[in-house]
Amino acid sequence: MSPDIPAIEVSGLRKRFGQATALDGLDLRVDQGTVAGFLGPNGSGKSTTIRILLGLLRSDGGSATLLGGDPWRNAVELHRRLAYVPGEVSLWPNLTGGQAIDILSRLRGGVDNAKRDELLERFELDPTKKARSYSKGNRQKVALVAGLASNAELLVLDEPTSGLDPLMEEVFTDCIREVKSQGRSVLLSSHIFAEVEKLCDTVTIIREGQTVESGRLDELRHLHRTTVSVVLDRDASVLASVPGVNDLVAEGLKATFTVGEAELGGVLAALSAYSPRQLVSSPPSLEDLFLRHYGGVTKGAGAAPAQVAGAR
Amino acid sequence: MSVAAPRLHAAAARPAAGTLAGFGLSVRFILRRNWLRLLIWAAVLAIMIPIVYTSQQEAFPTQASRNAYANVANMPAIAAMTGLPYAAGSLGGILVIKIWMTLAVALGLASVFLVTRNGRADEEAGRTELLRGSALGRHAFSLANYVVAGGLSVVTGLLISLLALSDGLPAAGSWVLGGSIAGVGLAFVGIAALCGQVSSTSRGANSLGVAVLAVFYLIRAMADVNAHDTNVTALSWLSPIGWGQNMRSYAQDTWWPFLALLALAAAGSALALRIETRRDLGLGLLPARRGPARATAFLSSPLGLSLRLQRATLVSWLAGAVIAGLFFGSVAKAMTTVLDPSNTFAKAFLGGSHDMLNGILGTFVLFNAMLAGAFAVQSLSGARAEESGGRLESQLAGSLARTRWLGAHAAVAAVGSAVMLLLGGWLTGVSSDGAATGPAMAWASFAYWPAVLLMLGVLLFLHGYLPRLSVSLTWAVYGLSVVVAMFGPLFSLSENAIKATPFGAVPRMPAEDFAFLPLLVLTAVAVVLAAFGIRRFTTRDIVPE
Repeated sequence: MSPDIPAIEVSGLRKRFGQATALDGLDLRVDQGTVAGFLGPNGSGKSTTIRILLGLLRSDGGSATLLGGDPWRNAVELHRRLAYVPGEVSLWPNLTGGQAIDILSRLRGGVDNAKRDELLERFELDPTKKARSYSKGNRQKVALVAGLASNAELLVLDEPTSGLDPLMEEVFTDCIREVKSQGRSVLLSSHIFAEVEKLCDTVTIIREGQTVESGRLDELRHLHRTTVSVVLDRDASVLASVPGVNDLVAEGLKATFTVGEAELGGVLAALSAYSPRQLVSSPPSLEDLFLRHYGGVTKGAGAAPAQVAGAR
Repeated sequence: MSVAAPRLHAAAARPAAGTLAGFGLSVRFILRRNWLRLLIWAAVLAIMIPIVYTSQQEAFPTQASRNAYANVANMPAIAAMTGLPYAAGSLGGILVIKIWMTLAVALGLASVFLVTRNGRADEEAGRTELLRGSALGRHAFSLANYVVAGGLSVVTGLLISLLALSDGLPAAGSWVLGGSIAGVGLAFVGIAALCGQVSSTSRGANSLGVAVLAVFYLIRAMADVNAHDTNVTALSWLSPIGWGQNMRSYAQDTWWPFLALLALAAAGSALALRIETRRDLGLGLLPARRGPARATAFLSSPLGLSLRLQRATLVSWLAGAVIAGLFFGSVAKAMTTVLDPSNTFAKAFLGGSHDMLNGILGTFVLFNAMLAGAFAVQSLSGARAEESGGRLESQLAGSLARTRWLGAHAAVAAVGSAVMLLLGGWLTGVSSDGAATGPAMAWASFAYWPAVLLMLGVLLFLHGYLPRLSVSLTWAVYGLSVVVAMFGPLFSLSENAIKATPFGAVPRMPAEDFAFLPLLVLTAVAVVLAAFGIRRFTTRDIVPE
């Protein structure tokens, strides 16, 4: 495949489920060899987009191209070149995890035995247990091992870490970095900003079936405002005069405000003059991001299309 | 339900009183979660008594007809399936032959499923942990579980006795009838309690309980087949089902085996509670079974996977076809002497045939076809289960064409039903003592394959257009087709109307002559429906539940 063909290119994608609109003109692009974050609140249409890209759902409008082909018509050939990890993994309860891994890998084309065994070890998964006895995290690991053991050009991951503990998330992060170093492409959907930030080159942020922001992660730094909570030795309203402090809520000695990355140093220097007794800073959650940048409260109806679409 | 409580309670109350704190609350909680289930089990089982009694009254209206039946009733096949006929000359005795074993086994299964559902299944799902965390004694919930399950047996037994009495059957025998069935149910509460402690999964506990029941059923079957006249062999006393049978309602009316059944219930429950004190929550005496770490190449193919997923279904239905075939063949000749050709029921049963033996054989062939049809529908609904369970998406995300996936599932259902038809028919012929040959009956049975394929066609069609409703609608179509083919004449349906339905259209050999056209039409309709359904499936969205 010529290097200038994107691994995924979606424009103006539409999908309705009965009365509910799941996708309303969505755009998404994943260049070859990059890790693309696909970010949006639950029910914003991430899983629906991925299902269309996998040829499981048929779009109602717009265009979608996967590895240069039509995801609906060329599904069988294209799927030899991609690996998919769903967010909610259903397995055959009376087969073992190892059997499920082999079945899923061979349906795609084959198993790399050495890689499979290495991944089983890294994810600490016992392949001889029946899937019935697996926890959500272990079912997730089965899908991850099956997906990562392939040499597919493109990995499509739909909230792949939702059941993993922090140690296993770390293993996952390492695996994705290896995939990237091999020049393969990854679409990683998530509703956690920090996860995307850690791994991705580009980010597409969607809401209610539409793309609201997309670009290289470093270009989207303006989205990244830190929330700071402090307790000072005096009335906290003095902070209103400090340059770089925004959204200040002061109450007695306590205050909460946000600060941009560029101003963080200056604000901290100014703070030290008020001898803070406590200081907590937290990166913005996706919800904060939406509240601040995309027109306040998301519509209550935002979750409805997702339920119809069976999205997670 | 409290009738059973004092008995079981006395047997198991040895642990310190504190371990039973919250017992009453647990009983109410279990009743609240299961009342509808309990009600349905009790009602369905008890109502069989008046239904079967009425039908037997019609089948054997005179003492002379009952005497005639008594002369032929003691056949090995009957003894093996439903127990040794010991009083076939009376209506009470005939009622016992027709329904006792079904009710006793069903109540035993009910006990196993109930005890597992509220015991091991809750523990496996972590609900027990939640309850134990509160102020609840260690044994309170388990004992409440056994008491409620035992209560079902007691209530069902009482209902059976009362309904038998209201049908005018002898009082002593009616009480023993209910008591013997309740006793078997209670004994299996004790057995299920043990299974729930031994296995660490609910599936394992259920399988173990059902396996124990099957072994006890087989032991008594051997005892009954080898009986001399109406005297059972000693083997019968090795099975709690045998104890229940040996109470002999409407004959000797013996009560003491009931005490043995009660003792088994009490001992099983008490031992289960003892094991519960010694083990950790969530564990069993047997470790969870492990399986292979790798899948074979065959299992990784769509056909291999479909076969593996259908394995239990296939094996149990094939076993059913074998047993049914052997049973049909071995009773065919005897039935000609029992059935009264002038009886309306008998006429409907024989499909209007003039030759009694061929009529009976034709009807058995139709039974075989119904079994094969039910298997086919159940097997192919596995495809929809894969889709609704979310497992199809992961498979189609691999390099797998939708037609190939669905084709594998349809092939298992179609070929499996053909094997069932041939095998069931052949065994009917072989075991018929010369009434028909194996190949002839296999052919007669196989003639129903187009009707079975039509059921698959309906399911494939609906799977394309109405996936969410496809399985239930297909079962409705199947049920209607079967009822019309079987009982159409009773509802005064015309012959042409019956011939226009799937199972009615097939020539019922050997009673009727072979005809090619209906089979061709059935197959053609099946193929067209399937083609439309598969085409639609390749163009529709995949819809998990």
